[in-house]
Parts: sequence; structure tokens; C-alpha cells
Amino acid sequence: MTERSRLLPVLTAECEERRNRIRSAFQSDGKAGETLRALCALADATALRVLEGFLPPGPASSGLCLLALGGYGRGVLFPFSDLDLLFVFANADAEARLRPAISDFSRTLWDLGFRVSSAGRTIEECKRIEEDNAEFHLALLDRRFLAGDQEFFQRLNEHVLPASENRAREFLFMQLKSLTQERHARYGDTIFHLEPNVKEAPGGLRDLHAATWVEQVVRLRNGGGNRESTPGEASGTAEEFLSAVRCFLHYRNGRNDNALSYELQAVAAERSLGWAEGEAAPREAADWMRVYFRHARTLNRRLLDSLEEHDNTRLSLGKRIAALATRGRSLILARAGRLEITSEFPLRTREDAFSLLNEAARRGMPLGREAERSVGIAWKAGVSGNGAKTWQQFREILGAPYPAVALRSMHRLGLLADILPEFRSIDSLVIRDFYHRYTVDEHTLRTIEHLQELAQPRDERGAHFTDLWKSVERRELLILALLLHDVGKGMPDPNHVTGSLEALDAAAARLHLEPDEKEETGFLIGHHLDMSATLLRRDIFDPETITAFGNTVATPERLGRLCLLTYADIHAVNPEALTPWKAEMLWQLLAATSNHLSRSVDRDRLHAVREAAFLDEVLRCSGGTTRAEIEAFLEGFPRRYLAVHTAAEIATHFALAKKLTAGSVQTELKPARHTYTLTLLAQDRPRLFATIAGVLAGWGMNIIKADAFANAAGVVLDTFQFGDLHRTLELNPSESERLRLSFAEIISGKAPLEPLLKSRLHAAQERAPKVAVPTRIRFDDDSSSRCTLLEILTQDRPGLLHEIGSVLAQLGCNIEVALIDTEGQKAIDVFYLTQNGAKLSPELQHRIATEFWGRI
Amino acid sequence: MKKIEAIIQPSRFDSVKDALREIGVEGMTVIEVRGHGRQKGHTETYRGREYTVDLLPKVKLEMVLPDRLAESVVETILKTAKTGKIGDGKIFISTVNEAIRIRNDERGEGAL
Repeated sequence: MTERSRLLPVLTAECEERRNRIRSAFQSDGKAGETLRALCALADATALRVLEGFLPPGPASSGLCLLALGGYGRGVLFPFSDLDLLFVFANADAEARLRPAISDFSRTLWDLGFRVSSAGRTIEECKRIEEDNAEFHLALLDRRFLAGDQEFFQRLNEHVLPASENRAREFLFMQLKSLTQERHARYGDTIFHLEPNVKEAPGGLRDLHAATWVEQVVRLRNGGGNRESTPGEASGTAEEFLSAVRCFLHYRNGRNDNALSYELQAVAAERSLGWAEGEAAPREAADWMRVYFRHARTLNRRLLDSLEEHDNTRLSLGKRIAALATRGRSLILARAGRLEITSEFPLRTREDAFSLLNEAARRGMPLGREAERSVGIAWKAGVSGNGAKTWQQFREILGAPYPAVALRSMHRLGLLADILPEFRSIDSLVIRDFYHRYTVDEHTLRTIEHLQELAQPRDERGAHFTDLWKSVERRELLILALLLHDVGKGMPDPNHVTGSLEALDAAAARLHLEPDEKEETGFLIGHHLDMSATLLRRDIFDPETITAFGNTVATPERLGRLCLLTYADIHAVNPEALTPWKAEMLWQLLAATSNHLSRSVDRDRLHAVREAAFLDEVLRCSGGTTRAEIEAFLEGFPRRYLAVHTAAEIATHFALAKKLTAGSVQTELKPARHTYTLTLLAQDRPRLFATIAGVLAGWGMNIIKADAFANAAGVVLDTFQFGDLHRTLELNPSESERLRLSFAEIISGKAPLEPLLKSRLHAAQERAPKVAVPTRIRFDDDSSSRCTLLEILTQDRPGLLHEIGSVLAQLGCNIEVALIDTEGQKAIDVFYLTQNGAKLSPELQHRIATEFWGRI
Repeated sequence: MKKIEAIIQPSRFDSVKDALREIGVEGMTVIEVRGHGRQKGHTETYRGREYTVDLLPKVKLEMVLPDRLAESVVETILKTAKTGKIGDGKIFISTVNEAIRIRNDERGEGAL
């Protein structure tokens, strides 16, 4: 009878009986720690008995020791985990002599149901660093003596291995870092998977092991031993919870399968897995998963903090630390791609915290660990400002090029939920369908990350939307809409859009949003599903679809924001959701609707009597006027006029129009955050548009956008949004009045325009453009029944609009509507033109084109 | 067994899928495709950028069915995908010699 056939029957029955007992105990009390230790003890006892059978203690096994590694080395063993073993031999002869017995040992353990993963090294080999096998060295950090020559082990453990580990400490740290990055990248760098892998995914148990290894390697660096890492209290609870889940998965799946599927989430929740007896545990799978994610977040944070804290990446001094800016008392530094602050100048107030977060959002540079901690401390210590002030500071972050960089930190620190308590309803919230990959809060932050990535798109899907993202107006409202668009999913109303709009109501009241800010954000939230529904369920090549969708969005600015929101929302559902096909469809819907909006302005004119509700609103804002007067003012304006102005603005326009007398000009100049808006009303007259553009150019103002509309009574209402490049108006408040006077005098012919223009344009023309934009001129006689559309795309430069307007006036064209826009260095202008009340003749179109080619 | 490949307008996909489900067809492969037949493309401009819309988005459905179901599936697709305009798509029907379920080697209609 061989040793193997003698051992197997006895041990098989024993192992089975003990495994059943351990399993029953886990199923009744769910305590993972005891289960894992009991399984480890069973493996230890069995391994020793089998080893003794093949290699009895004494001379036969001299020059050998057997070590347990990895999790088994730490004294815990999951039901179907590998049994990591290392045989260390005194020399090659011992290895050759002992190999056959070791082979029998391993086979017997396999037959007893242990998944043996064994390796062998001579003591000489243990002195070497295996650079292609960092995992082995890391597992060796958790070594535990099992059997063999004690003295031999002592030499190995106290001299040989510490010496090689000491040499390998930087290598091990860098390997840990890169292995972690690769592993996290495989799981999309997020803990928030709807079916997470509880071992390998970010936030899984591997993060805890890796954090322990980092701490061991750091102790080696500091000259200490490599043992005894004690987790913090939060990590300990998280470890117990995740261990219980992994144990449960092994038992349910009957194998080393660590994927927490939907079905098993429901079973785990029903069993209150991870809760001590008597604790009130959630029974709903979604609620139970929220707890899972909180524990996963703890483990993930511990690892990332640990890696960052001990990262001694050697950079040149200049690269390692560069002073970036001072904010209040704090000096902001960049260290290894992250923002840090110096301890001499800590953050003290919420303003300081906002400043640092704003810097992160502006530069796209995340906060370092200490900086993030300081933000948290300063925030808690600071006095909560009033809502309006908070919004003012928060808006800066949302409007920056990389808002998600700051929002990630704010979410981790709980600041986001302090500013927007509505966001709490989606914290770690799982949507149990097979389409959404991430929890709702993770999906939300990803939408914003996908947008900021558009600055340098990673693939063809984003290429069409880059310019749109760079030039989008009121970016802060788009980002606010994204933050709130799905919070309704955490509310009782079955229609999440309703819930999200209610959340906006509450947030807008608390943060004192301006009415138009709330309206715009509300539009985006209320319609956030419309564009994807249109592109997937309507024929986007049918003009009726485009007209209907165009009527919904009403303005190109809104269209741009809704398009970006839709792009981000689809993209952040799961990595495959935004196919190139869908991205192309979205872009075609954007292009078709944008063209529709700019080519159909004069199709739909206002007939004020039909706009009862809106008239009431304007009437309420006007005060002391009659409905008939307002009706007369609005009659004949393109419907777009209502879309781009609020009732309060229209009431102001009406008030200006009432003061209008023959030959006079009425103006209103309003500063916005970085621009000014000029509204000008006058009776229609030749060259009016060109003259206004000329005055602005003469004052050195950069026209960004403009609209020119006229009503049935021949009142022209032009709105120009311009940037004050030289800060003339900001630094000299009295100049605003002089600018208004300049308009009145030049438009009424009392002062010439040319001297004003000449000096300014002469200086500007000497500057070469940064980007060359080829000129395109296109006439369109089909889009409007009454006008010829002229679309000009060309290099933007000072005085351009004045020049275009002058050519059109000189050739006898009447500008019925003008839509002026700029995108970086590109001017995009659309004019609705008539001559003597009719469309332009082909000859005139040819003359205009020739004239333009000569000049621009 | 018959293989049915239907190229339809994306906007009709939900209706076709629902109608097929109603007559008991659950399994199908859906592919996002681009193409054109008689519905030729056209050139457009968007903010000065010229682009040609020559390959239009379509959805391709593929399913393999027992012979007895093929006709009703074709009728259902015809009825639901039709808008009467150019670009409604096409249906191709071909005969399939064998079907094998990889998991258990099951063959014939049982593998569908």
C-alpha cells in the first residue's frame, strides 16, 4: 500500500467533514474572519500530515522548509482560493533529492480538494530579485513557516530574504504602483461597477492587500521589519464585510469566482450578509450595495493614499515642485502632477478651499493627498457662506475647463453634498438594469469627465464635439444640469426627470440662482433625454423631425449645450454605449438642427396676440403700460427674439422703444462676467448695422456674438455681445457713458466714424492671426421664402463685421436678420438679405462675393 | 431553417423589435450599420465645414428561424418598418443548412 493510497481515504473524509462544518457555521452566522481562519487551520493541518507521510521529519527532510505565502501566509484562506506554497531548498542537490516526494505531496493535496499553487527555490535563488515576477516577491512578504528545518527557516527569514527585499524595496514599490494602475485600468478606474469583482476591482480585497504591501515596503525603506500591518478601524470593518461577501460568493458559485452578480446581490441583501446579528440591515439589494460601495471606497482610498504618500518618484527639482500661484495666504504648488500646498501656509477658510479647488479645475491637475485633506479641514472649520456667495464660488469651478477634477475631490470629501444636498440621494446608488454599468453618482461624474476630455478627444467619437465644448456658452449651467440630471433616480417619483427638476428648484432657491440660470438649467434637465430619443426613435433625415426638434431647443446655444449633455450622458452609461455610429448620428442631428435654426429665422414671425401667456409676463415686468402697446412692439419680430430674451429683457427693450423718437438711438449697456451686452434700438436706416459694428471696433471692442432683428413697425433691435480687450470700460467707468454718446452721435450723423476706426484698425492689422481660417461664402435662396441667406465663414479680426456690413450697404442690400457668432478665431455670420423687398438677384450675389473675396 | 437579414431605419427599430416579440421572436442580432442604396447621399455644411452624408445610418437585424416562422416574421418586419419613403430598407432571406449550439453541441432547430 502506497503512502498516498493510505492517506487519501482517511483525510478525504476528515476534510469533507470539517469543510462542511465550517461552511454551516458561515451560513448561520456569516462571520468571515472565523471562517477564513478555520479554513486556513484545516489546510495547515492537512498539509502537515501529508508532508509527514512523504517526508518524515528528520534527515529525510533536512535542507528543506515549507512556507505559506500570500493570503494563506497571512493566515486566511477563502473556500476556493489557491494554496500558495513555497519550498525552499538548501541547495540544488537537496532540490533534486526532494522533488519526487514534493510532487506526491502536491498531488495528494489536490485530490483532497486544495488548489495547490506551489513553487520551489534554492536559498541562492532567494537572494536574487526576479524582475519579471514581482507578484512572487510581494506574496513572499506575507510568508509564514509551515514545516521543515526551523534553523534553516530562521536564516532565510532573518538574513537572506530581508537582504534581498531591502535591495528590492524601490523596485517593489514601483511594481506595486504599476500593477495597481494596470489592474484598476482593467476595471475602468472605478469602484462603482454594478456587478463588481470583490477581489480584483478597485475597492476590492486586492486593494487592501496592496495597501498592506505598500506599508511593508515602506517599513523596509525605513529600516524596520516587513510584518505586522494593522488596518485602521474603517479598513477592518470593510475587510470583514468584503471578506464575508467573497466567502459567500465562493460557496454559492462552488469555485473561485468573485463577481458579485445581480442575482447574488439580491440573495446577499436578503440574508443581511456582512451585518452582525441584531443590526438593522437593508434588505433591498440597491441599499445593500450602497453599503458595499462605501466599504469599497474605504479600501480603495487607503491604497491610493498609501501609494501617493510614499511615492518618491525622482523628478528634477524644477519638475517636482513648482510654485504655481498664491491664493490668499496659501502658496499652491505642483508636485508630481498634483496640486499641493505648503504646511507653512495652510488653508484656513472656505474661500481658501474654493480657491484651491478652482485651481485644480482650471489646470486639470488633481489635488494631492495632503491638499485634499486640508480642503476638507478648512471646509469643516469654515463658516458656511450664504447661498449666493457659495454659488458664485461654485460656479467658477463648474465653468472651468476641467470641472470634474475638482468635483471628484469634492465628492470624496462630502463637499459636493454639502453644496448640493440633493446629490446625496444618488450617492452609491445602483440602477439595477443591464445597461448602466456604474452607480448613478459615478455615472454623473463620468459625464463631466467625458466632456472635459473633449479638449483632446481620445478617439473619433469625440472629434466632432471638440469645438462645441471649447466654445460652449454658460458651461457652468451645463455642468450644474449634469450634476442634477439624474438625482431624481434617488427619489420616490417614478419619473426621475420630475424628481431632478424638484431638486433644481430646491438648489436654485438655496444658492440664489438668477431666474435665467435656473430656467436654462431646468431646460437641460427637463429635456436631457430628448436628443437621444430623437436620434434613436425618429428619422433625423426627415425635415419635420428637425423642425420639431429645432422648435424644442429654440436657440443654437441651447442646442449646443443639450448636444454636449447628450454626448456625455450616453458615453457615461458604459464604455460601449456611445458607438461611433451613435456619435455620428448625434453630430448629424446637431448639424441639421443648427442649420435649421440659422436658416429659418424669418419663417416664423411673431403675432403678439397669439402669445397670451408670454405677453402677460412682459406686461407684469413692464408696469404702467397697456397690453396693446406691447403687442404692437412685438408684432413682426422673428420668434427667435422670444427664445433669446427673457420677459424682463423684453420689457426693458419695450421701455427703450417707447423713448425712441425719429432719428434717435436708444442704448443699454450691461456688463456680464467677462463680456458686455449692448442693446441698441433705432428706426431702420441704411448702414445702421455696419455703423454699430464700426463704433465697437473703433473702441477696440471684440464682437463675439450679435443678433439683428426688426419688428413690423421698422424698429431695429440689435444686440451685440462683446469683449473689452483693453479693459477700457472696466477701468474707466465714465467711458461707458462716452461709448453710448459715441453711438448716438455717429449713428445720427453728428460725428464721423472714420477717424475713430482708422487709428484702431491700423494698429490691429499688424498682428498676424494665430490660426489661419479659410474663407467660405455661400448664398442660399431656398431656406427663406422672402430673403437670400448669406453665410460667411472667415478669419475673425477687428473691424470685420463693420467691413461686411459696409459692403452690403454699399451694394444696396437690406439686412433683415443678422446672426453673428465666433468660434475661437473663426467668424461665422449669417445674414438674411433683401433688395427692394425681394431676394437678391444672381448678379448681385456675384458682385457681393467678388467684393468680399477682394477684401476678406 | 431560414436566415433573415433586415436592414431598416434606426427610427423603426423599437417598433420592429416589439412587433417581433409579440409574435414570439425573442432572439436576434442587432448591428449598427451605415450604407446606401437608391437613397443617395448629399453634401451639407455645418458652420462652414462641408461634409457628405453619403452613408446613412441603418440598423441590421439578423435572425435564424424555423421555416414555419419565416413568413410571419417577414410580414411583421414589412408592416412595421415601412414608412413609404426611400430608405426604408431591405429584407434578405436565405436558407441555413445547420445550426449548432456551441455549449452542448445541440444541432438543428433545437439549437436556435
